[in-house]
This record gives sequence, structure tokens and C-alpha cells, in this order.
Amino acid sequence: MSWRLDVRCAGSGGQGLALAAVVLAEAGLAAGCQVALTQEYGPEARGGASRADVAISDDVIANPQCGVPSILLALHDKAWRKFATSLPAVSASLESGSTTAVVDRDLVAVAPGTPGVLALPFEAIARDELRAKVVANMVAVGALGRLMGRFGSEIVESAVAKRSPSAFSQLNVVAFRRGWSMMDDLLPAAVPAGR
Amino acid sequence: MSQQLIQGNEACARGALAAGCSFFAGYPISPSSEIAELLARELPPRGSVFIQMEDEIASMGAVLGASLGGRRAMTATSGPGFTLMQEHLGYASLAEIPCVVIDVMRGGPSTGLPTSPAQGDVMQARWGSHGDRATIALAPGSVQEVYSLTIEAFRLAETLRTPVAVLYDEVIGHMREGVELREPTPDELGRRTSPRTAFSPTFLPYAPDENGVAMVPDFGRGYRFHVTGLMHDERGYPTSDNAKVAELLERLERKLEPAVAAVPPERYRLDDASVVLIAYGIVARTARAAVDVLRREGIRAGLLRTRLLWPLPAAALTEVSRSAELVVVAEMNRGQWALEVERLAGDTTVLSPYLKAGGSVITAEELAGHVRRLTREGVAVS
Repeated sequence: MSWRLDVRCAGSGGQGLALAAVVLAEAGLAAGCQVALTQEYGPEARGGASRADVAISDDVIANPQCGVPSILLALHDKAWRKFATSLPAVSASLESGSTTAVVDRDLVAVAPGTPGVLALPFEAIARDELRAKVVANMVAVGALGRLMGRFGSEIVESAVAKRSPSAFSQLNVVAFRRGWSMMDDLLPAAVPAGR
Repeated sequence: MSQQLIQGNEACARGALAAGCSFFAGYPISPSSEIAELLARELPPRGSVFIQMEDEIASMGAVLGASLGGRRAMTATSGPGFTLMQEHLGYASLAEIPCVVIDVMRGGPSTGLPTSPAQGDVMQARWGSHGDRATIALAPGSVQEVYSLTIEAFRLAETLRTPVAVLYDEVIGHMREGVELREPTPDELGRRTSPRTAFSPTFLPYAPDENGVAMVPDFGRGYRFHVTGLMHDERGYPTSDNAKVAELLERLERKLEPAVAAVPPERYRLDDASVVLIAYGIVARTARAAVDVLRREGIRAGLLRTRLLWPLPAAALTEVSRSAELVVVAEMNRGQWALEVERLAGDTTVLSPYLKAGGSVITAEELAGHVRRLTREGVAVS
């Protein structure tokens, strides 16, 4: 049975969501999967509610469009409000036809304990622990990579290093590892398979 | 060979370099600018030429001059720039000057909609320049295909001595997919048609070879000849001889026919299809997903994905459109290629194009819904 995961990375233009999506696509390619990445190209990419979508599959990706995302990452409230409304259902586990929402705890206004929504402190960790708010996107990539449950951490970490600007390569890898490990406490030992 | 994660526009530039492109003149324009950006970096270190011109008219003029000088030459643009290039494209067709034009299409007239996907230039590619100009236009549907069809565009341009346009939309241009950047073989590169004899006072630069392609020499190779945008004889000098003019026009159209066999359409689940979707570019991707959805519901749907817009692949279109009960041409414009299919389809076929010109991609669900409605109304038997 073939599988496909659609990940929508949404935020405000400039938060590095396109890079986050590129890293996930690069990891998929390195793992021998088919990938397709589409992203907002208009003025949103420079400051509005922007998005980048990655489709990853072990089969041909005929349709690169992401209908119902398997995972929606939102790092900004206006992006959450723009993209969450089109979700038919949210679910804490990756189930067919529903979306697992992963949002920044401090940047997106979601009531604590909302079912199907993982509210995590990406920016707070980047700012307070890593002393660089700008790497919040890579903390999120770590969490998403772990949540996807398809690739080992070393494959995603290599993709982070490959795609990061050289000045940020080391810091991004540290941020990625922090994001990956923060999911240890949140996920059951066996991560559910994607659709 | 391993795959690389690159954008459609980057795949285009990589394809051009692999095809031996050594001259680019252009004026950056969304959503094609990354092609110029990458070639501006890559061409000069190879001893090749990149020029940012003052506008698209001058760009096309520079491309034609470089090509006459023997370079494999190209430009890249979008709808508004493609409009400005039409005059020189007509000149290139008549004077038989090889060149490649990439058009990452927009929607709407004038500067239109610069950053959204559309397929607004299908008819401009065919009829944008005056006087029954025949032409070739390719339509890749994936990032991998942008690479391979850019190489093919150069082969067709050089071997048939004609301008070749490659048309795609913003999504294909900016989408990233895994691409294998395979080096083309000598056959895939092709060789420019050129004279087989040394210069003599009786030399005829516009005498066609057995394929109907003029054997024009490159400038600077010791041949003395004349190039004109007027109707001309085999010497390359203007003529108003009725028979010669008619014959030249006919030859310029006929010599492009090999493109039809060289770039065949892709057939998906067509064998028993009563509903045939016809699409190109990004829409062919969502249409394929729509076919799968409809098949699961018991509707016998199939897809003809064309990679060649011009010359029209008339035989394939006639065959599928006459064997189907319902034909749906799906395109992101107000109905351009759909008109050609309408012309070719049989009287018993129902035609119901699905058109969307607002600046977003036709989704699989929209297309499937369109077909579902029509089959419920009894238009096609599933």
C-alpha cells in the first residue's frame, strides 16, 4: 500500500517556512521518496500569511496540490486563521482525511488543550535556549520530522545541514535536534503511519 | 544518477546549459526571472554571453543576431514580454533563424496577473505574430520535463531552423521536485542544419534540404548571403513571385511536422474511456488525479496529456475526441486550446471544457465534480 504525506508549513513571510519545507522535501528525496514542493509566490511571501506545501510519497505524485494536509504547521496567527478554516477535522494522530495541527504556543491563539492541536514553544526555545529567535523554523522542522515518523533523524539532519546558509548551518542543526527531542515526551513510542 | 531538488525555472536553465546554450539576452519578468538569474551566474564563467537588454524587443533582436552568428541562443519571459517579441519571432520564422523562447505564462491582458498561475498565452504562441506564421510550442508538466523539453526545444530549433517556444505556468516554474540532470546524447542535442557545399557565386542559402529546411550558413564562415524579413527566393533576395511566395509559406509550415512525432502525448487510462480529459502543464497533473477519483466511482475516465501545443497534434486529438462520449479540455484561461479540440471532435461527442482564469490551479475535485455533474445529467454513460 503506497503512502503520501502532505505537510503545509504556514507563517508570516520571512519566518523561514519555505526553508523548512525545502528541508523536509530534501529529506524525502534523500530517503528515496518522490517529493513535490509548491509555495506562495505572491507578495505574501514577503510578509503576509504565506505557505509552502510539501508532498512526500513512496509512489508517483501525480497531483502536487495539497488538498487536506496531513500536518499543518502554523508559526503565525494570521496564517493559522487563513489555513485552519479549510480543515475538515483535526486529529492528534496522523489519520487519513484529518490534519494534525502543530502551532507555536506563543504566536498562535489557540485555546490550551484544543483537541488535535499540538501547541509547542518553538520560538521560546529558539529565543531563550538557543539565543536566536530566527531558528524557530528549524526547531519546528525537528518536531515535524519526528511527528512524520517516516525518516530517521540523521536523514533530516543532513538535509538541514545541506540546505542551511553556511553561517547558520551549525545553529540550525542544534535547533533541529532540540525540536526532534522535544517530541520524545509527546509522542507514543510507535508513531502512527501516514496516509 | 541521483536526483536534485530544484525549481522548474532552475531546471529550465540547467536544460539550456546542457543543450549547449551559449547566449542569453533578456529582460527579467515574473514568474520567469529565476531563469535569467541563474544564467547570469552560469554563462559568463563558461565564456558564454548573458546580456540584460533594455526591453524584450531588443532581447529578441540580440538573440537572433547571436543565432545567425552560430550561437545556440535563447531568452525567457512572460506574457507581456512575449507580446513585445512577436515581431522578431515572425522575422525568425521567415528568415529561418533557430532560437528558443521560454514563456512562463501569466493570465489577463497587459501586465495582467504576474505572480499567479495561468495559461494565457496558448493562442499568442500560435497567432501572436502576423502572416500565417507556423510555429512550435512545447508544454512541460513537471520539473523533470522542463529540463528534458528545454533540451528538446533546442534540438527542434536547431534541426528545423525555427523559433521554438516552451510554455509553462507559475506553479511548474516555481515547484521543486526531484530531477535527474542527465546529459543529453548527441542525437538529443541535434545539429544545426547548415550548407553542405563551399561558397560559390551560385550558392543558394535558402535552398531547402530533403526535410524542407533551409541550409543557411552561420555568419563568418566564408559565405556571402542576404537575410531578409521580406518573402524571398532561394538566394535570400526579396521576391513577389506568386508561386515562390506560396511555396515558401507552405514549406515553412510543412517543415515543422516532425515535432508532432518527436513530442508525443501521454495517454493515461484511455483504452476504454468514455470520458476523456485533455490537459497540459500543471492542469494535467490535477486532471490525472481526477481520473483516478472518477474511476473509483465507476466512471470510465481517461486523460490525454499533451506536451506539444503547436503544431497541433491533430491525429491524437481527433482519435480520442471521436471515440469518447464526453471530452473535457481543462485549461487555466478563457478557452484557447479547447477551440482547437472543438474543431476536431466528431458531431456525436459532447464537449464541455472546464475553464478557470482567476489565477489559481484547477483542482482535481473541481474537475471530477464537473464530470460527475455531466454524467448525472446523462451526458456520458459511465
